Amino acid sequence: MMKILQLVAALFLTATPALAELHVTVDQGNQQPLPIAIPDFAAPAAGDAVVGQNIAKVVRADLDRSGLFRTLDPKSFIDRSLSVGATPDFANWRVINAQALVVGQAETQGDGRLRVEFRLWDVYGGGPAMISQQYTATADNWRRIAHIIADAIYERITGEKGYFDTRIVFISESGPPLARKKRLAIMDQDGANPIFLTDGSYMVLTPRFNPTAQMIAYMSYIGRKPHVYLFDIDSGRQENLGNFPNMTFSPRFSPDGNKVAMSLESGGNSDIFVMDLRTRAITRLTSDPGIDTSPSFSPDGTQIAFESDRGGSQQIYVMNADGSNQHRISFASGRSGTPVWSPRGDLIAFTNQSGGFHIGVMKTDGGGARIITDGWEDEGPTWAPNGRVIMFGRTIRGGRGSQIWSVDVTGRNERRVPTPVDASDPAWSPLIQ
Amino acid sequence: MSQSLSLTRARRTPTTARGPRFGILVAVLLHGAIVAATLFSWQHKLEIADETPPVVPVDLVTLADKTNIAPTVARDVPKTAPDEVKPPEPVPTPPAPAPTPPPPPPQAEAAPEPVPSQPVLPKPAALPKPMLKPPPAPPAEQKKPKADDFSALLNKLTTAPAAPRNARVADRSVRGVGSMNAMTMDLQDALRNQIAQCWSPPVGAPHPEQLRPQFRLQLNRDGTVAGMPQLTLQSAADAAGNPYMRAAIEAARRAIMTCQPYKLPPDKYDTWRDIDSLDFDPSKMVQ
Repeated sequence: MMKILQLVAALFLTATPALAELHVTVDQGNQQPLPIAIPDFAAPAAGDAVVGQNIAKVVRADLDRSGLFRTLDPKSFIDRSLSVGATPDFANWRVINAQALVVGQAETQGDGRLRVEFRLWDVYGGGPAMISQQYTATADNWRRIAHIIADAIYERITGEKGYFDTRIVFISESGPPLARKKRLAIMDQDGANPIFLTDGSYMVLTPRFNPTAQMIAYMSYIGRKPHVYLFDIDSGRQENLGNFPNMTFSPRFSPDGNKVAMSLESGGNSDIFVMDLRTRAITRLTSDPGIDTSPSFSPDGTQIAFESDRGGSQQIYVMNADGSNQHRISFASGRSGTPVWSPRGDLIAFTNQSGGFHIGVMKTDGGGARIITDGWEDEGPTWAPNGRVIMFGRTIRGGRGSQIWSVDVTGRNERRVPTPVDASDPAWSPLIQ
Repeated sequence: MSQSLSLTRARRTPTTARGPRFGILVAVLLHGAIVAATLFSWQHKLEIADETPPVVPVDLVTLADKTNIAPTVARDVPKTAPDEVKPPEPVPTPPAPAPTPPPPPPQAEAAPEPVPSQPVLPKPAALPKPMLKPPPAPPAEQKKPKADDFSALLNKLTTAPAAPRNARVADRSVRGVGSMNAMTMDLQDALRNQIAQCWSPPVGAPHPEQLRPQFRLQLNRDGTVAGMPQLTLQSAADAAGNPYMRAAIEAARRAIMTCQPYKLPPDKYDTWRDIDSLDFDPSKMVQ
């Protein structure tokens, strides 16, 4: 018995200490776009080869422009015999440092419609495809299919809704500075398919998209009286939103699309009103001697951000949707105006004037304000429907024209949006239904 | 006889009846005492348990120092150095050998301070030597001063052995814990730095600081990942119905997989073979 005890004791005494558990916390990263390989979509019929190439090209351009992806040069691809129905040999894609792979196929069916199928693969994750989808549409809708595919990839990788299948309404500017022709125009978010909606016989300003339908509200000088109008994109029908004796301007739809908040001028003072589009009833929200304008609803419709100079300088205020509890939230240096509430609800974008004009974002309580653009004159922010990207108008110093630019909400990836002529005051549409 | 017998029986029965009662009483008292004793001992144990926690921070201190074996040795260097420098001071005041013993303990405790004194080390090159061989050094010095101050010699003899003792104990205890911690920290740093190069978290998501995937994984001896990183149950639960968390998990997993093979010391493979938790915390990357 004693021997056993001695033995046990000896074992305890001579036992080596247990190895320490290894815990590692990674708290620094390397913010880099995701390398993704998107070969041209295969085409079983030779006649569809061009469509397959074009779709892949648009998908690559969308993802590249987001700044969150880096599409790899197709020339570097080793495996050129991909089939949408087979699992790729991932080793061929790891070699070229791809982390994701898109394999697609485009085919014109017997009825003339285009059928597009694609898979998204995680090159390192193994397992089944991350996405496996198929779309059918008329052949002339191939570009929309490409945007929808890019949205699906974007959403699967980032966790956020995409924004590629959207359109931009903007003010197209042409002519000399003293006789500038400003027309309402619309295009895809990537600058493709630009179309003029008005002929330029009257000036148009501040277009705003209805978040639930393809409808625009804007201010126009028809008859030399500035008023807010509604414009139905599909039908081209235009409607004066209330024949007020004085100027109305700066309209913005409520999240449900049933109301429009706008400014109404009276005797040099302007206040904010809201109109119910169904009953046309109008309600006053502010009655301050200062200039109150640029209202913007929160995505839940319970609050409105607006700008006012009631405190001596132009600043941003927030009030309840019924006009109560008006309080200032912007305290950054300089002036702040044109607040636009993010569709995600977490931020408010605004224009800050301090030296130059810059786009900034801040939390809805005014905290965490930061400037995210560095142009000479950047103004008029508008949010992508996913609340991740902001588009804005940029005036080039020295009268060299105006352009539309986009920037990630983090302040990275500032890019110009191509427009056929000078452009300003963009308004981002919701996702196309 | 029968009466006497009956009497004796009658006498016996009461005596035997008293006996068990008394025995039961004693037993109850003894059991009660034992129970009380155990209660008392439990309370005592709890008190001890309360006292043990302070021991743990000692290990944590060595962790925080980020020291490896070399610094622990270096700590000892200055300990003895001041000891040897100080003895000459008491020489002029020989009558009191007693005051010398108290200084060593505080000097041993002051070990953490030596770090700043390290730059001094290069200057007196002779100092390190006596540290490594404390016993032989004193006798050499003893001969030089002749026999003027025997008390000083005695002081040196008494203080010299005392210092090494403490040094040895400290050395052993710090090496046992510190070396392991230092090694673990080195591995943590190595892994963290390598994975960080490949990690691109979705910082544009709403509240990205809350997206903290956690994995367990095993590594092969060549630094490659054995199988796939295993998501902890908590992270898997967080990902359910949350596309942002799912994206964060996949971004972290891509980082783990694309950064392999990891460059780690092969002789420490047993230590880094199993990574018990690999956490991704993007809060510092959020503006």
